Amino acid sequence: MIRKTRIAVQGIFLLIFLWLFLQTESKGLDTLGWPVKIFLDADPLIFLSTALSGRQWPETFWLALLVMAATIFLGRVFCGWICPLGTLHNLVSAVTRQRSKRPSVNLYRWKYYLLIFLLVASLFSLQITGVFDPISLLIRSFSLAVYPAFSYATRATFGMFYEADIPVLTQGTEFIYALLKKLVLPFQQPLYHQGFFVGVLFILVLGLNLVEKRFWCKYLCPLGALLGLCSRYALLKRTVSEGCNECGECASVCQGCARPDEKEKFRIGECFVCMDCDDVCPQNAVRFGFGFKKSAAGLDLGRRRVIGSVLAGIFAAPLFKITPIAKVGASNPKQIRPPGALEERLFLQRCVKCGECMKVCLTGGLQPALFEAGLEGIWSPVLVPRIGYCEYNCTLCGQVCPTGAIKKLSLKEKRDIKIGLAMIDKSRCLPYAHGVPCIVCEEVCPTSKKAIWYEDVKVVNREGNALILKQPHIDLDLCIGCGICEAKCPVIGRPAVTVTSVGESRSKDHQLLLPQTSNIRVKKSFFRRLFDVFLTSSSNDNP
Amino acid sequence: MNRRTFIKASLVTGAAFTIPGIGNPFINSFYAAEKVDLAVAVGPLPESITRSAVDALGGMKKFISRGDVVVVKPNIGWDRRAEYAATTNPEVVATVVRLCYEAGAKRVKVFDRPCTDPRRSYKQSGIADAAEEAGAVVSFLDERKFRDVKLSGIALKSWPLYTEIFEADKIINIPIAKDHGLSTLTLGMKNWMGVMGGWRGRIHQRIDESLVDLSLAIRPTLIILDAVRILTANGPQGGDLSDVKKLDTVIVGTDQVAVDAYGATLFGLSGKDLGFVVEGAKAGLGQMDLTKLNIERIKIS
Repeated sequence: MIRKTRIAVQGIFLLIFLWLFLQTESKGLDTLGWPVKIFLDADPLIFLSTALSGRQWPETFWLALLVMAATIFLGRVFCGWICPLGTLHNLVSAVTRQRSKRPSVNLYRWKYYLLIFLLVASLFSLQITGVFDPISLLIRSFSLAVYPAFSYATRATFGMFYEADIPVLTQGTEFIYALLKKLVLPFQQPLYHQGFFVGVLFILVLGLNLVEKRFWCKYLCPLGALLGLCSRYALLKRTVSEGCNECGECASVCQGCARPDEKEKFRIGECFVCMDCDDVCPQNAVRFGFGFKKSAAGLDLGRRRVIGSVLAGIFAAPLFKITPIAKVGASNPKQIRPPGALEERLFLQRCVKCGECMKVCLTGGLQPALFEAGLEGIWSPVLVPRIGYCEYNCTLCGQVCPTGAIKKLSLKEKRDIKIGLAMIDKSRCLPYAHGVPCIVCEEVCPTSKKAIWYEDVKVVNREGNALILKQPHIDLDLCIGCGICEAKCPVIGRPAVTVTSVGESRSKDHQLLLPQTSNIRVKKSFFRRLFDVFLTSSSNDNP
Repeated sequence: MNRRTFIKASLVTGAAFTIPGIGNPFINSFYAAEKVDLAVAVGPLPESITRSAVDALGGMKKFISRGDVVVVKPNIGWDRRAEYAATTNPEVVATVVRLCYEAGAKRVKVFDRPCTDPRRSYKQSGIADAAEEAGAVVSFLDERKFRDVKLSGIALKSWPLYTEIFEADKIINIPIAKDHGLSTLTLGMKNWMGVMGGWRGRIHQRIDESLVDLSLAIRPTLIILDAVRILTANGPQGGDLSDVKKLDTVIVGTDQVAVDAYGATLFGLSGKDLGFVVEGAKAGLGQMDLTKLNIERIKIS
């Protein structure tokens, strides 16, 4: 009975998670209308580690505290009843044949060492928790790999029937396809660098269930470790009555590493409160109820190992950060961050690589970095204009960022933020190099005095005929670096107009032009941009 | 305009009537007595000027037959709200959709291929909602439905075009009149870029000829040029209300060149200033000399 209830609750939370995931996509409005990042908001590990690394107190901290409080009272109910990744692990375990009962490996301490390492590293401003955090991992894997692959497979399958054009059958498949498009398919096929890499990692994490069910949750999950620590003194306790004949049934169903068959050595911190042991007990000797009596075995991590984890965290921070990328002017010029991204150092301290911004990006231009931003910045978002530009009227990435690494901006603020500057390669540009009219870049330039303007220039072609061509120029003051010119430039391969991060508002060091005193409007907006970036990023980030 | 010039004009523009399926021959001959080439309606309400301009040309029944599948092609090119005059006025679009249904159309489809994000462009322009409310089937373009179409034109030999355009019984083009960096203005003929697939920016290299090639391949039953608001600078995308001029005007015609030539006058230009109009007239697509047209002007207060 309890088991069925739990499975139902898990199913509901998984559906909520998937629904919110699907809603992390624009319907053409300025906002999404759903609290799509609520699982990340409620994630105590994300909260704690960004609080340490970013020295910030997010607006939605109470959700994370609520989960911690629930854990303190009820134990790891989050793991057993709520966590969507945990539910997926259960699903995979259920469909694969479990090997005969094996004594569980005593690796459950690993996750605590990982937790200590991550939190200490966070304290020293190295933010890599998101790589391991289950919610972040799940959203990233879904956004970058699972969903794109699902979309690809679905489109390919229905595309096959569409091409075959078999009477009746194709009508049927087209009807289903239209339905899927409305309900579950993305607006356009998402394509990401590293979709394969992230996907394989995710398959490995799920595949660990073949070694042992919920391997990840038992041995690796740092959020599980944090909640395990919180649940040490949980009031919801498991008691075993005298009726127990030590048949060991409970040990075979235990999802965690809690040793339910060893009364005094029961590890409450490893219990997911799934209550399967209560259900399965043939003697009906197991009972979950509230009580104050301390009944569980303590957690002995070993002093040396704890110190080792702390030291690893301390040393990891400088090791990750000794990269020349951090030197002014030495960063990758193509490292264009989304609008509202904090100054790089602060940005990396907060970005948890959850992939929400990449999922929501209208054009699909936000791509996960590999090593371009240093190992520390793995899977952090970088705009690749050639894949997709930054839509002028869109502020969604800042809206879905759970940690404020990308600030939530008003439309007005967003339009003023430069994420880089476009520059023209005259040796490739059609009107400059080849005497051919074009000016697509000027047409698509979205700023309302266009940042791309043209000059009518008389040129002579090979035949000696004079013709007048419009040659584009870029107004560096008006250009916001959105990259639509690069995205739409017909010079495929290496476009004749490209955006680089120079001039990006968030970096004082990346500025290019001196403020022009002759122009009052320019002067004002220049300072406003500076203030926007530097004042608001150093304080807590509520716009 | 006296009778003589009128007869001459109707001979020239009579080509428009060779388009198949234009309606009941009896009704045609009935209206031929006072055939109007262009109707220009001015008034504060987009719906009533659209209706009366179409009526001046003989009413929608003359163009749409019972059971027709009609494609209504507005300009939804950009993520801008209607007041910025970068996209066709949603009320004009909705009115045309209603007129089609009133004339007996089976289905009216509305779509475009925007330059910016389609979701935002459809929504923010107000066109998707307005057209849907009027009963139209509003859809985003399905990338599978582009087919290479042989154009054998001057600039375009073939190009992937949206098949739904060719599957429809009737096509109504509803462009908006706007400034454009390369082609000076964007009016009716340029609106066909919205059914082009592939890297359509490439046609900028021979924009005028390309537009004529397209316009020769796609023959609209009716062109309804929205000039309720026009964009006079920073086109085709705009973004500044000070570049927008309210003209409260709708121009309706069946001749692609004539409509665009008239559109030029809204900006203080003439058809001669627009390369695609000149090329279009040269290719026999239509009449660019406004003096040879019977233009009916309607003012509604």
